[in-house]
Amino acid sequence: MALLSVRNLHARVGDKDILKGIDLEVGPGEVHAIMGPNGSGKSTLAGVLAGREAYTVTQGEVSFDGQDLLSLPAEKRALAGVFLGFQYPVEIPGVGNLHFLRTALNAQRRSRGLEELDAMDFLQLAREKAKLVQLDTAFMNRSVNEGFSGGEKKRNEIFQMAVLQPRLALLDETDSGLDIDALRIVAGGVNALRSKERGMVVITHYQRLLDYIVPDRVHVMAAGRIVRSGGRELALELEEKGYGWLGLEQAKAPKEARS
Amino acid sequence: MTSGLAHYLDVATRFQAERADAPVWLKRLREEALRQFERQGLPTPRDEEWKYTSVAPVEARPFSLPRELVGSADVAAEVARLSSAGPRLVFVDGRLDSSLSVLGGLPRGMTLKPLRDALRDDEAVLAEVLGQRARAEAHPFVALNAALLEDGVFLRLGRGVRGEAPVQVLFLSRAGGEAVLSSPRVVVVAEEGSEATLVETYAGAGASFTNTVTEVTLGDNASLNHVKLQVEGDAALHLGVLHSRLGRDSRFASHAFNLGAALARNEVHAAFAGEGGDCTLNGLFVGQGTQHLDHRTDLDHAVPRCTSRELYKGVLDGRAHGAFHGRVRVRENAQRTDARQTSRNLLLSETAQVDARPQLEIFADDVKCAHGAAVGRLDENALFYLRSRGIDRAQAEQLLTHAFASELVRAVPEGNVRARVEAMLALKLPGAPRLEVTA
Repeated sequence: MALLSVRNLHARVGDKDILKGIDLEVGPGEVHAIMGPNGSGKSTLAGVLAGREAYTVTQGEVSFDGQDLLSLPAEKRALAGVFLGFQYPVEIPGVGNLHFLRTALNAQRRSRGLEELDAMDFLQLAREKAKLVQLDTAFMNRSVNEGFSGGEKKRNEIFQMAVLQPRLALLDETDSGLDIDALRIVAGGVNALRSKERGMVVITHYQRLLDYIVPDRVHVMAAGRIVRSGGRELALELEEKGYGWLGLEQAKAPKEARS
Repeated sequence: MTSGLAHYLDVATRFQAERADAPVWLKRLREEALRQFERQGLPTPRDEEWKYTSVAPVEARPFSLPRELVGSADVAAEVARLSSAGPRLVFVDGRLDSSLSVLGGLPRGMTLKPLRDALRDDEAVLAEVLGQRARAEAHPFVALNAALLEDGVFLRLGRGVRGEAPVQVLFLSRAGGEAVLSSPRVVVVAEEGSEATLVETYAGAGASFTNTVTEVTLGDNASLNHVKLQVEGDAALHLGVLHSRLGRDSRFASHAFNLGAALARNEVHAAFAGEGGDCTLNGLFVGQGTQHLDHRTDLDHAVPRCTSRELYKGVLDGRAHGAFHGRVRVRENAQRTDARQTSRNLLLSETAQVDARPQLEIFADDVKCAHGAAVGRLDENALFYLRSRGIDRAQAEQLLTHAFASELVRAVPEGNVRARVEAMLALKLPGAPRLEVTA
């Protein structure tokens, strides 16, 4: 059975239709990449799946591990095992990174009937997971994302994912704003978290990320729909020919914009 | 039984008649204050100064003066909870409790004593400051406090004296007694180059009315850190006025936390009297239920080259009402003034209210002045971020609310005092981090 099953999903912001019939199946252990030009609806899809309230679902259904995902508030989706890696992680002055993450982890453990971790045990876990993305432990004591560089914010996202161990990770443009070294670190962290049980949806504008995180399936979105699906060779083809090849407006090849 | 103004006039007149044998200067001070109180009367919302705060509850009950204290063993635990090692004066239901006070171990050159003793022994020093910073003719409740002048604290720091431990003053009111009006007066004289921290804590469970006045005089290059923690009981009324006069190159920091009482207004007035002064005014109120909390500040840049930083925040839930009115005056000759005032308020319910009124009056041209006032709700983006990790909405709101408020706690210098403020805030706003082991 698919871990995530999206059928004919339509969603809007205000009175603007953004998703116009998305179908997507992600099985356990699979990594799916979603590519597409800006404005095609990639981030909206991630937001709708994670429960962002700014979006209204007008049609379709989403089941996650047999549950009706759309009926759950954001926090319940997280408890069920959905994780969103934010394109723009939010800065929260005054809330310590470690305190935040321990609160989140303990909320998840409680919902699974596990004992909460005390500060010492949590710290040990956090230290271990921070190594995955080479996050300095000094960052853990600062306020959530406050004053972090773009790369530090993205590493912090993957660090959180490593601690929370979700069953489905939605990574929204995790590569944006990263230089090549940071990209390698982040991708390394993601790869280390690939497992037979875990599904991943990697959203990216550039094929570059997929050199490091090799997907099982690639989907191309345009104007709110998935217009093409294929194996990883589809990403390479896109790199070569650009989105124009698919009959889309943007003809420019999605080559990386920065090194 | 009379009520309103007549009641207070009656109470004060009897108080003064019972003290007919007081020194002449003190008698005059009290009598003149009573005249000033009578002349001004109790303020109404038609008074510009009292536009946002009605003092009707002050008139609604016939508060009586404190009786002599009998036994206070029952509050010993409370005193321990609200203070730490170091010098302290404790007042219970408006009266000094010597058994709970600690006056030993003061640094050489520091005087700390009950005001009652100072009124007897220190006329020379007091004559220059008492009633000079907080003037009876300018404020009805300062006048009432002066008309009933008797208890309080006198703190004097001689030249260059550094107080290591914070000086603590505690005012506790007990439940179950009469509705007591207490009128403490705290007088601080910090001579040239001296340095200290003073903490005033108001707490308890009684339906009391506290009308307190603090007068601070800072000599050249003196420094005072003042923390006021108001955690009075749900039924209490609290009016507080602090005046500070800053000498040349002196530093004054005020951290006002108004968490308790049914009605509380806290005024902080600071005036620069010498160049190079540095003044920080910070304040936080957290209102719930039907609490009414009012912060009033007044900064007088009367001389050139002084710096002021003001950050006041409010958190209001339920049907609570908050008010902030902050005035900064930069006088004509006060060139190279650097003043910044910020007021930020968080509304947690549809029925909570806040009035925020920044007021800048700038008469000099070579100055750097900025101000801002904001009223808002919790940031939905931040809430979603927390919720997307599995933290439920209620807890996410608590975390963000606490984070908003705790900026002012973190502005208090690290130590026992900050820890106590943090603990008091946590009682009011759950969502505080439990003791976190650092990485």
